[in-house]
Amino acid sequence: MSSVYALAIVGSGPAGLAAAARAAELGLSHVLIEAEPHLSHTIHRYQKGKHVMAEPAALPLRASVPFAAGQREVILTAWDRSAAKLKIHIRHRAEVIAITGAQGRFTLKLSNGEAINAEHVVLAIGLQGNPRKLGCEGEDSGLVQYQLDDPAEYRNETIVIVGAGDAAIENALALSTQNRVTLVNRRDDFDRAREGNRDAVLKAIEQGRLRVVYNAGVASVAMTAAQRGVITLSTPQGAAPIDCQRIIARLGATPPRAFVESCGIVFPSKDPNAVPAVSDRYESNVPGLYVIGALAGFPLIKQAMNQGWEVVEFIVGRSPEPADAPLLASKFERLPGYRSVPATIAQIQSGIPVLAPLTPLQLREFLLDSALRTPRAGEVIFSRNDYSDSFFSILAGDVFIAPNPDDVSELIPLAAGQFFGEMSLISGRRRSATVLAGEGCVLIETPRRSMNKLIASVAAVKRVLDETFLTRAIQSKLAPGLSADELQEVVASASVQRFKAGEVLFKAGDVGDGLHLIRKGSVTVAQQIAGKEMVLAYVPAGQYVGEMALLTGAARSATVKAAIATETIKLEVAPFLGLLDKHPALRDQLGNTLKSRAAANASAPQSDSQQHGIVQFLMQQGLGEATDVLLIDEGLCVGCDHCEKACADTHGGISRLDRDAGASFAQLHVPTSCRHCEHPHCMKDCPPDAIRRAPNGEVFITDACIGCGNCEKNCPYGVIQMGTVSEKPPSLMSWLLFGGTEPGARAEKALVKAKQQSGKQAVKCDMCKDLSGGPACVRACPTGAAIRVSPEQFIQITQGAD
Amino acid sequence: MSQPTAHRKPSRESAHTGFMRHRGFRWAKFALLLCIACIAAYVWHEPLDGPSGGSWLGYTLGGIALALVVFLAWLGVRKRRYGSSLGTLKGWTSAHVYLGLALVLIATLHSGFQFGLNIHTLAYTLMVLVVVSGIYGIVVYAKLPQEIARLRTGSTRDAWIEELLDLNDEALKLAEPMGPDVHRKVVGSIEKVQIGGGLRRQLYGSKKQKRSLEQFSDALQQRLKALIDSAPPETFNPSATQQSTVMFMAGQLGSGDKSALDLQRLQQLLDVIGRRNALVTRINRDIALHARLQVWLLLHVPLTFALIAALIAHIVSVFFYW
Ligand SMILES: Cc1cc2nc3c(=O)[nH]c(=O)nc-3n(C[C@H](O)[C@H](O)[C@H](O)COP(=O)(O)OP(=O)(O)OC[C@H]3O[C@@H](n4cnc5c(N)ncnc54)[C@H](O)[C@@H]3O)c2cc1C
Ligand code: HEM
Ligand code: HEM
Ligand code: SF4
Ligand code: SF4
Repeated sequence: MSSVYALAIVGSGPAGLAAAARAAELGLSHVLIEAEPHLSHTIHRYQKGKHVMAEPAALPLRASVPFAAGQREVILTAWDRSAAKLKIHIRHRAEVIAITGAQGRFTLKLSNGEAINAEHVVLAIGLQGNPRKLGCEGEDSGLVQYQLDDPAEYRNETIVIVGAGDAAIENALALSTQNRVTLVNRRDDFDRAREGNRDAVLKAIEQGRLRVVYNAGVASVAMTAAQRGVITLSTPQGAAPIDCQRIIARLGATPPRAFVESCGIVFPSKDPNAVPAVSDRYESNVPGLYVIGALAGFPLIKQAMNQGWEVVEFIVGRSPEPADAPLLASKFERLPGYRSVPATIAQIQSGIPVLAPLTPLQLREFLLDSALRTPRAGEVIFSRNDYSDSFFSILAGDVFIAPNPDDVSELIPLAAGQFFGEMSLISGRRRSATVLAGEGCVLIETPRRSMNKLIASVAAVKRVLDETFLTRAIQSKLAPGLSADELQEVVASASVQRFKAGEVLFKAGDVGDGLHLIRKGSVTVAQQIAGKEMVLAYVPAGQYVGEMALLTGAARSATVKAAIATETIKLEVAPFLGLLDKHPALRDQLGNTLKSRAAANASAPQSDSQQHGIVQFLMQQGLGEATDVLLIDEGLCVGCDHCEKACADTHGGISRLDRDAGASFAQLHVPTSCRHCEHPHCMKDCPPDAIRRAPNGEVFITDACIGCGNCEKNCPYGVIQMGTVSEKPPSLMSWLLFGGTEPGARAEKALVKAKQQSGKQAVKCDMCKDLSGGPACVRACPTGAAIRVSPEQFIQITQGAD
Repeated sequence: MSQPTAHRKPSRESAHTGFMRHRGFRWAKFALLLCIACIAAYVWHEPLDGPSGGSWLGYTLGGIALALVVFLAWLGVRKRRYGSSLGTLKGWTSAHVYLGLALVLIATLHSGFQFGLNIHTLAYTLMVLVVVSGIYGIVVYAKLPQEIARLRTGSTRDAWIEELLDLNDEALKLAEPMGPDVHRKVVGSIEKVQIGGGLRRQLYGSKKQKRSLEQFSDALQQRLKALIDSAPPETFNPSATQQSTVMFMAGQLGSGDKSALDLQRLQQLLDVIGRRNALVTRINRDIALHARLQVWLLLHVPLTFALIAALIAHIVSVFFYW
């Protein structure tokens, strides 16, 4: 094709579609290139009838195509209609596989060999990636599909499924009830799949409900008639043709990063969560090549659409005020001496060094997510032992840190430009000190997710935070009163070490070569007693192990293992001894602390092997990363299910715990219920950042949930369900007098129905943070079987009931 | 160096204790004091016409008894007020048990040991029955949970039911090539394990649906509640079918003209059926134990209602006839 478009847009999701619509509206020569035969593949793939939400509610929509919260079908139809009306020039079934050239003449190569030329390119391909194809002849024939929406649609067919991951297994199991299914596995096991799926598929194979061909690849696919064909497998025994009516390939998706990098776009770090750095005009490091939408780190539809509109404005040379400007203005207005949004942004960037390396767009996003706080002098910003995890930067005035709970007059001042709160952010644990506001204090409070996004995307931010964490951790735990300068040598020699769950930090008898300050995760300390390994202690993040090495240089007296994935800061002995030589007072003080700690250890009740077993069991159940967990003493539980009923009654009819499910050991039962993890896995991919941690540690889901189901998948303990809560609980009086629904009666029917309907949101335990009196499950247990414990109490629990 | 565990919501108790020893036997001590006080008053008090409910002490003790009954019965309400922050249910149960026991003594002192064939003594008898059923409840609460835990050894009923379904499938598959006789027998034995009609469909139709499996076990449980402690349940008697299936199979084993392969299959089938039957027994035992944990309440609660009715009658009558 010889013509050159002014603008080529790759990907027709909300971002790309909005860009194309604006281009069409402005009469710009453009082409919208979409790999699939329909618009907006990601939305298209949502479950039928899904209620699509328009978060963030406060952000105004600015686009030439409509969007409001509503049913998936309604939204897609409206988009199709707008696209037709605006005469958007769309190329469907056109996957872009390479972008070369430079501003003014980019060449986009399509998978069918064609090339398209354009002056500017907008990359809006989202984060879903492309399904991996079979990679053989016939991979695009009508016989092969790379996705399965509704297994119930197929009956009495002969179906071949290629793949051995969770998606392939789930599809195979679902289809096998009504069809003849053969599963093709490249290897001879299913070890890549989740345990539950693995067990289920092996069972189905054993029972003959599924056929499986191991160690087989796909050599070719050929259609023989309409919806009939042959798939030829290559096996160690030779080629094996199979007649079939349908082939479903579930080989995973290739994350878009490699493709994006091949276009010349640079990612700031290797972190898989990193997003490409773009300017405030969404332009990447390649001039003329723009990145918008989920790919640029904006995971919601409305944001994506606004960016689509804006990017075209920028390309045609206009500079509209960003749609979020009113939001920022309303945030900034309260600042003393406020003039304009850009002025304040500039002030923030120059005034707070840690934010200096951010791109303007990153800073904007950062500020949108953040809250500006102007506390009165003396006000408590957070208290020691709060469970909050936000990050604070000081824009003006100063704050005072009170690290010592016994002496509140001991205050460390922090001035404008500095930051605090990084300890809890990194360790996932309670605040280690109380912080008070000083005179004229202006703070920027940023939620955990935005900070983590920055840490992943901006290497300089990560480095500064890591170093500060280290210095402050040493200051607060080991060398109180010493300045950062005095600690420089020790800090420089320290290193961050990472351990997988179960990995050994050091063994009894090893040379004591340093101290480990646990930065993230937790460890168990065990000793060999009478030939058996016994766990003596559980040490959570924020504390240290191996300290004796610093003073005595003796060999390790115990074996320390990571209970979960753990990061420690290892301090080397030599530089630390050098420090002690310079500060004899510190040596005495430290010696005393460590001695009393050793004494406390020695007087701790001796544990038995039963206890070791229990600790082991609890760690397996994920309690190593728990902050608060529901346990049930099976010796007391009478199975009345009051705990579940209480949960349902106080939480819209859906119980967030499943008492009977879950593992038990030595009469201790860990029901299926939230562990309120230190670093909640569920928070990882929540597009509207709806999962938060409350000051008492409760991990809870706010109303901003859009029901995408990511958290349900990400929680390793299976405690999140998708459901619709009902507003009115059944009334006790009317049940007593007239019968009907008993309070706390199971609402499973409602749950199942909600699953089929669409307005579902994620529901999980919130530890009854809004109820006075604490968790209803525990308060409703008539026998005292149900208890909630925090990690500090694990060892106590394992030492018996009383 | 350890971080303090402070900053918890108030209702959390640090150590974990059962309801009997709640807060260092707080309610046991309270109930004991109450009893001692009442006995002392009773001994000290010497009314003209002997001790009776009609004396001023009688009225006082009667009043205390009434208050206790109301408090004890209120447990049924508090139990379902899940949002209530008025103490924990464990504390309520603890108070319930000890004050319930004290009630016997107080009501007896109140009556002045004047029993007869009248409405007053009916109220008293009902009260004693409630208390006795309550004591039985304490006994099962103390014993059965551990028995269940031992029976389960870390597994769950759901897992067993899942395994049972698998074993049934396996049995059917093994039986398939062995001719219609064997097959029919196996199908029959599977069908008999389930209760009533439609259950088979429940079991198979929603195999992956844990919830409907629970409905299945609920159905079993309800059935069993009715039959509990009576003769071995007839509609759900695995041993009857077990016995006959095993006998039948054994007969097949002995009946000569079978190829080695068939023999091997039969042996496998026997093994599978044996395992399944053991599992059925275990599931039954689990269901029965759970039912026994709850079934006494079916006596305790209606008797409570009867007691309240009788008490009202008692109070009304003493006001009319004194
Ligand atoms: C289950 C689920 C539910 C969600 N619910 C909501 C919700 O209720 N509200 C909300 O605001 N957000 C929701 N989200 C998030 C929302 O879907 C995304 O933020 C949004 O789709 C991102 O838009 P985008 O245009 O950046 O990318 P996408 O929508 O992912 O669009 C990318 C498009 O590019 C195409 N493409 C990719 N690669 C190529 C290529 N090489 N060549 C050509 N075309 C290509 C794809 O086929 C696709 O059509 C949800 C997400 C999920 C997964
Ligand atoms: C649990 C609660 C109670 C029980 C089990 C109970 C039981 C009894 C019994 C067994 C008697 C002896 C009857 C007799 O003398 O033949 C009695 C007498 C009496 N009770 Fe109660 N009683 C209770 C509560 C009350 C209350 C609340 C009142 C006051 C309102 C009351 C008032 C009386 C009186 C006045 C008598 C004497 C009647 C008489 O001597 O004929 N009782 N009670
Ligand atoms: C007159 C005396 C008593 C009355 C009126 C009474 C009444 C009640 C009521 C109404 C309930 C609630 C049941 C439900 O709603 O499910 C209950 C439960 C119970 N009662 Fe009693 N009771 C009495 C005495 C006792 C005694 C003496 C004991 C024990 C020694 C006892 C032990 C229990 C137990 C263990 C429960 C179950 C608690 C639970 O599982 O929630 N009761 N009682
Ligand atoms: S929902 Fe799951 S991942 Fe999230 S805090 Fe609870 S247990 Fe951890
Ligand atoms: S409320 Fe207590 S006794 Fe009842 S089922 Fe739950 S843990 Fe067991």
